[in-house]
Amino acid sequence: MQRRNFLKQASLASTAMMVPSFLTGTSLGKLYKNRAGKILVVVQLSGGNDGLNTIVPYRNDLYYQNRPDLGIAKTEVITVSDELGFNPGLKSLRELFDQGQMSIVNNVGYPNPDRSHFRSMDIWHTASDSTDYLNSGWIGRYLDSNCQGCQSPYQAIEVDDTLSLALKGANRRGFAMSDPGRLKRTADNPILQAISKSARNDVDENKVGYLYKTLIDSESSADYLFAQSKKNHSSAAYPQSEFGQDMRTIAELITADTDTKIYYVSLSGFDTHANQRMRQERLLGQYADAMKVFVPDLKQNGLLDEVLILTFSEFGRRVKQNASKGTDHGTANNLFLMGGKLKKPGFFNEAPDLSQLDEGDLNYTIDFRKVYATILDKWLEAPVPAILGKSFPNLGLI
Amino acid sequence: MNRINQLYWRAGFGLSPDEWRQKQNWTVQKAVDELFNQAKNASPLPVPTLELDRDDKKTNREMFEQMRKDERQRVMNANTAWVERMADPKESALVERMTFFWHGHFACRSEQGKLGIQQLNILRQHGLGHFRDLVMGITQDPSMIRYLNNQQNRKEKPNENFARELMELFTLGRGNYTEMDVKEGARAFTGWSSTLAGDFVFRPLWHDYGVKTFFGKSGTFNGEDIIEHILSKPEAAYFITKKIYRHFVNDKVNEDKVKELAQQFFKSDYHIGKLMRSIFESEWFYAPENQGAKIKSPIELIAGMMRSLDFRLEQPLAHIFIQKALGQMLFNPPNVAGWPGGKTWIDNSTLTTRLSLPSFFFNSNEFTMRVKDEFEVVQAEGKMARKLAVKMNLTPLVNTIKSTTPEQIGQELAQYFLPIRPSIDLKNLMPILPNGDKPAQVAALAMRIMSLPEYQLC
Repeated sequence: MQRRNFLKQASLASTAMMVPSFLTGTSLGKLYKNRAGKILVVVQLSGGNDGLNTIVPYRNDLYYQNRPDLGIAKTEVITVSDELGFNPGLKSLRELFDQGQMSIVNNVGYPNPDRSHFRSMDIWHTASDSTDYLNSGWIGRYLDSNCQGCQSPYQAIEVDDTLSLALKGANRRGFAMSDPGRLKRTADNPILQAISKSARNDVDENKVGYLYKTLIDSESSADYLFAQSKKNHSSAAYPQSEFGQDMRTIAELITADTDTKIYYVSLSGFDTHANQRMRQERLLGQYADAMKVFVPDLKQNGLLDEVLILTFSEFGRRVKQNASKGTDHGTANNLFLMGGKLKKPGFFNEAPDLSQLDEGDLNYTIDFRKVYATILDKWLEAPVPAILGKSFPNLGLI
Repeated sequence: MNRINQLYWRAGFGLSPDEWRQKQNWTVQKAVDELFNQAKNASPLPVPTLELDRDDKKTNREMFEQMRKDERQRVMNANTAWVERMADPKESALVERMTFFWHGHFACRSEQGKLGIQQLNILRQHGLGHFRDLVMGITQDPSMIRYLNNQQNRKEKPNENFARELMELFTLGRGNYTEMDVKEGARAFTGWSSTLAGDFVFRPLWHDYGVKTFFGKSGTFNGEDIIEHILSKPEAAYFITKKIYRHFVNDKVNEDKVKELAQQFFKSDYHIGKLMRSIFESEWFYAPENQGAKIKSPIELIAGMMRSLDFRLEQPLAHIFIQKALGQMLFNPPNVAGWPGGKTWIDNSTLTTRLSLPSFFFNSNEFTMRVKDEFEVVQAEGKMARKLAVKMNLTPLVNTIKSTTPEQIGQELAQYFLPIRPSIDLKNLMPILPNGDKPAQVAALAMRIMSLPEYQLC
């Protein structure tokens, strides 16, 4: 039986987090200095966002033939190139696009696609082949990779009350928190406080020690994140939607120089089997309206070059509309990158080819893991094969 | 830890206070015999029929959507009914526990009430019998057939999904078969399908009657033959034994023990009941390294709390919120590999929620957490479903406590609730105790002791 004073490390870290910011990074040394390196924000559109009605091929007859009711008329599309335009819901993104702060990557997918939400999301979260089942997520394995600062419990934060598989590693986990105030109230439960404060140092690391350590880390993280969230109240006009407020939380933590490298947030409801038009437009509007505030907020704080935002959905939808003015589950899709350091803003690659379908679905040309690999390598400076199981060629995205 | 307590936490969902009072001094042998005797009388769950909505005013799509919603509701009903059964001392603890184990092993998302319960009944029927019957049952189970796309497995265009998972996850594990075996095995299961009403059907026209080469042997094999070939390999016995060991004994595997048990399992023609008996009756099962070595899964945690505190949730749908928040929803595993278990149950959110649950229940709090995925049925119930309203019957618990001072009450409760000595001095939990009557003190202390990290273990 292994008995070590490992709890000391956790509680020591917890005191250190209370240390005023002028001390951090100096007398306490490397372990406690604020964020090192770049920040990644991942936005997940859950439910399978219809990519074809998000970035619309408004010059393509096949598009309108396949979608007689659902196709968005040329006059309504927000045109951004000779062949492609935005869903009207994305009008707030126009400015970011024109300013070169957005890259759109078309035809992203993976071999042998799975049309189940759960399974396909699983594949995106774990970055596995579609015949493999992994228990850990790609961001979790990034935390496992001993990245600088990865020993801190809030190196990756999911802005939600529960943690997604993407942020669960074999040894380390991300941190779930929908709102720092709420987190603090939960942590201030007197019983939990009494327990975390009175744990003996000789707890059995193999059994209950892991739970005590997680509890102590959670309690101290709650204090730290709450204090961070109070440092800089953003005056930017974030939308009142839940997603808008989630983006505000992220912006406030980033501008407070919080020691967190990855933020993960979701917007759900994209499973539009029926009456898709209004619903998708409303959801895309929520997304775009929040990003329209978030990106300039970062820029104003001189942080846009430090932040990369990745937006994805677990799959696109079938090319043909269904009988309920909606779309069913499909395969390849587009994804967005935003930030100040994009190598190829605008459209990164060719529009989807609607004449070459695979049983009614779009063919993918870019494996999503190449996008992950590029971000891990070029942005987070992390070892790709250790995290993704193999190497992938870099895309010239960032 | 008391051996009887450990046995009942692993072979069931803990002991109710009455069971604890009655059985704590039993011999292991007597308790194991009782568990197996009780298992003989377990009854299956009633299978509902599939409701087909026939409203002529509705379009097919609307009828389909309505049916899907109704069936999801019924799966949730089956879910909560099952948790209540796990918590019920009158039911067979061992049968419920074995069914729960196999439910995680043959992981399958069920989207219809009838299919979900039908599948559970297969697991209940054979869960302590011969593994062969279990595999055969699940291979012909409509819910699994649909989940693993065997509906699409036809002679002209075989679908390998079922054959692959049968070998990789259900019987052999990776490295014990080739891609060729997957291809050829899939051919043998062509035409194993299910009807619209949710019953198994063999469709001869879809079946490939040709010669297949499987594990180096050639013949016109059908699905039964493939299962026989698989089970003729000792690797299958090892694979299953290891999984059972990790679930019931310890996530850290003792290879020698597993090999020994696996040989025995193989020789017994895969008799699961015999395997379980030899684990529960062994001396090493109760060794210190195996005490408190398991992190309770969310379902084990909830069912155990209900059993100890004798309550049900007045809003059964609240179970769904808790299960989603803690990461284990019955009939809804993350994928066909099941719940990975162990430390993966724990992150800052699940741990804080787990530790706060006792106070949620004791105070009938509202469950305010955001949970992932939309689920319309529960949303329709709105806030009501989030109310963790319970009426506990604490009399049995109070009656098991002989002591009168808070310190001694705490010690007694710790013996009942915790698998190992707590890592904090219980004195730290004593402040602000209600003074005066024993029932109030027992309740307050029970809540605090159940909030200890040690209560997460068994």
